[in-house]
Amino acid sequence: MARSKPHRLRKLLVVVGVALAALVALAAAWTVYLDRVVTRDFQGRLWSVPARVYAEPLDLYAGARVTADELEEELRRLHYRSGDPAAGAGVYRRHGGDFDLHARRVRFVDELREPEIVSIHAGGDSIIGLRQADGTELPVFRLDPLLVGNVFPVHGEDRIVLSPDDVPPLLRLGVKAVEDRRFDEHHGVDPYGILRALWADLRAGRVIQGGSTLTQQLVKNYFLSDEQTIGRKATEAVMALRLEAHFSKDDILVAYLNEVYLGQDGPRAIHGFGLGSEYFFAKPLAELDVGEVALLIGLVKGPSYYDPRKHADRARARRNVVLQELADARLIDAAAAKRAAAEPLGLRPPGGSYVPAYLDLVRRHLKRDYAEADLAAAGLTVYTTLNPRAQAAAEQALARHLSRLDAASRVRDAHLEGAIIVADPNSGDVVAVVGGRAVGAEGFNRALDARRPIGSLVKPAVYLAALETGRYNAATMLDDAPITLKLSDGSTWSPQNYTHEIYGRVPMARALAESMNLATVRLGLDVGLPRVADTLVSLGLETRPTLNPSLLLGTVEMTPLEVVQVYTTLANGGFRARLRAVQAVLDEQGRPLKSFKVQVEAAAAPAAVYQLDRMLTLVTARGTGRGASARLPPGTIVAGKTGTSSDTRDSWFAGFTGTYLAVVWVGYDDNRATGLTGAAGALPVWADVIASVKSASYQPVPPELIEDRWIGFGDGLETTAACSADAVAVAVPTGTPLPGKPGCASSPPNSLTDKIKSWFKSTIH
Amino acid sequence: MVQVDHSLKRLAAGFTAAALLSACSLLAPHPPSQPPTPQTSSPQPPGSPAPSQSLPPPAPQVPPPPRENHLSAATRSLVTQARTQVAHGDLPAASSTLDRALRIEPNNPLLWIELGRLRLAESDAHQAEGCGRRALALASGDRIAQAQAGRLLADALRGQGRNQEARQVESQPFMNSSP
Repeated sequence: MARSKPHRLRKLLVVVGVALAALVALAAAWTVYLDRVVTRDFQGRLWSVPARVYAEPLDLYAGARVTADELEEELRRLHYRSGDPAAGAGVYRRHGGDFDLHARRVRFVDELREPEIVSIHAGGDSIIGLRQADGTELPVFRLDPLLVGNVFPVHGEDRIVLSPDDVPPLLRLGVKAVEDRRFDEHHGVDPYGILRALWADLRAGRVIQGGSTLTQQLVKNYFLSDEQTIGRKATEAVMALRLEAHFSKDDILVAYLNEVYLGQDGPRAIHGFGLGSEYFFAKPLAELDVGEVALLIGLVKGPSYYDPRKHADRARARRNVVLQELADARLIDAAAAKRAAAEPLGLRPPGGSYVPAYLDLVRRHLKRDYAEADLAAAGLTVYTTLNPRAQAAAEQALARHLSRLDAASRVRDAHLEGAIIVADPNSGDVVAVVGGRAVGAEGFNRALDARRPIGSLVKPAVYLAALETGRYNAATMLDDAPITLKLSDGSTWSPQNYTHEIYGRVPMARALAESMNLATVRLGLDVGLPRVADTLVSLGLETRPTLNPSLLLGTVEMTPLEVVQVYTTLANGGFRARLRAVQAVLDEQGRPLKSFKVQVEAAAAPAAVYQLDRMLTLVTARGTGRGASARLPPGTIVAGKTGTSSDTRDSWFAGFTGTYLAVVWVGYDDNRATGLTGAAGALPVWADVIASVKSASYQPVPPELIEDRWIGFGDGLETTAACSADAVAVAVPTGTPLPGKPGCASSPPNSLTDKIKSWFKSTIH
Repeated sequence: MVQVDHSLKRLAAGFTAAALLSACSLLAPHPPSQPPTPQTSSPQPPGSPAPSQSLPPPAPQVPPPPRENHLSAATRSLVTQARTQVAHGDLPAASSTLDRALRIEPNNPLLWIELGRLRLAESDAHQAEGCGRRALALASGDRIAQAQAGRLLADALRGQGRNQEARQVESQPFMNSSP
């Protein structure tokens, strides 16, 4: 008996010991596991640098249409400052139209340029010449590309990642003072902090303080879910301790500043102080004043509760509490805190330099054209084809016109929406994307995703298919007369003109210019629906439309982006240029990943496209698009087409000049009738965009065996400009027999030659 | 394999020769413009629907006026730069430089010819064909540029094994005008 007691005790001790050892071993294994997770993932995240995305740099050369004021504006946008250029790179001096510029070191897609001083002489409407510092003439010089965003191409987030040097001292100290006063002392977990929080909670009778250190908050953001369990808390604590064991306080603080959640912009989460500064104030972090820094620090506590855009009063109160705390910690003096507390919040107006709709296209094209593994690499540089001037012009034009149209509309419970894409048809470069009227917000991108019936935008494909048969030309008479078709499902279809009028016999050029439905349906049926569908596909439509007669009036649905692809081929003489927003991606060493080249393929007969395009210039000269001319510089020749879907649900205009192609859509998100034709809704927006990007006239090179002839717009008979008031010049195959207008000699060759000569002159120079 | 090597060599040789040719024409001052080749036979117009009225005699033929394409100082310097990049074996950079030139003068056939030659050097005969056709369309009225575009197009077609089409291009009248 006496021996069995200690024996049993020993047995118990052994059991307990083994159990304890097992527990310790388990805890150790768990800690080792968490340690691994922390080191691997944190290391990966800490050094994952987003791809930097640049706009197309502005090329300057004699004749470039850039005024002195525009040049200065561009320099400011690129953060050049006025001063003595000899002092260093990034400085310019302006005297009237003369600029001396000390350009920075820049990595372009094709070369690394060292800093250099150049002189630029700008005239009234264009650049006159450029010189190097030694006086030698410089034929061409490009400015720095504008940084427009930072994206993680694979998971699509955008961040502005701060390096330790980018963090202003007030932010660094302020965040510690407000969120974790003992950050520099603790090892990831702060027992005093927990006790203090517990005491505060006990006194209040509810949880009012968390007691989490910055390290714990970071761990929570990085690795853990949001649930509040003991297990999760323990995991968080262990991970925080391990993180502190492996990384410096500074790494952890900077990672925290880059990771912390500060707000929500539609579906886009605002993470990190860099992006927060850009989102709320449209300024880099380094330029924020005391009050602005305090507002951002205050948001950490409750980004949606203190959202300054939704709850300005709460945000203001919170900012002032933070200002007081900063003053208490002697980071700012009391007077400065008091002054800042009296200031307004200073939020930037919505919109600005941020181009989410364009970046959306960039991400899609990155996915389309590059291997995902390549995109996962750190420190990529993405060179896009964005033209910031065209982007700004398009955003402003859309916002201005939609407000005007909304004010004039009887609809009070909904706002008109819109989308714009501007492209360079020669290269397929997309230079601007506006996905809706709230340009700063990332949301439904109508330019890429709103699929709507295109209405009469389809007609050029019908007329092109007709011209390609060789049986039609601009003067061919069509019959605009009622027609009733029996459809395959047994129903009948009787299309009507938009005006509900019947025009009878009209020349093809006029039927297109005035967008006559009956003449077009008859023409399309004669040419054949399969041919029209084939033409749409060869122009660039990816899915072949269903062969329904209503296809001829544009029941086919397309996104603005798809319309751009199709019209690019029309604007490009029948050559299809694949649309692209990404020119090239360079890796960290500056080597191209896989450069995506200008892709150009013959898609339609150039002679037929030329005849069609000349007819499309009559749309804006005499037809449904004639409202454009009042908004364009006098004498500008543009080609385009209006589109209106049934019941005016969609208002479209697609058109081009010698330099740009733009497609505009206006409509309601819920697809209700707008009461707007393409001419009333989309056309003025289009014309303003085209006017502000300074497009050259549309003057294509005439193909061989095509000549200009004068015909009456009304009767299609050959005439002269002097003989008929409604004479229009059309392009037809050389020697095409045309019935003449009685009493009018056909075009005298001299005047025609002169006309062509003057045309060439303006084309070449 | 042997055939591939052979065609690659031919392509490379073609590129060098053509680059030299076009180098002469693009960078040297242009000769005075040639008068257009007079059209000896009236081309057959595509059939047009017969109007009900009696046809008046066809309008007098207007010969296409002569044209001559040049590079501006800016695009000329970019073409020179692109060629230097090719000489250093940096074809992607040359491609970007020519893109830049094309943004300045998108309708200059000489630039499309240059880009097409670069595509051939990259062994992308299909893209070279697109450039050749674009150049040919833009060169309308400029016999010298037409001939260069035609040669590019023929080389691009041969590079895809389409020899008969290449010969067709070469038999076009404008192919006789040499720079």
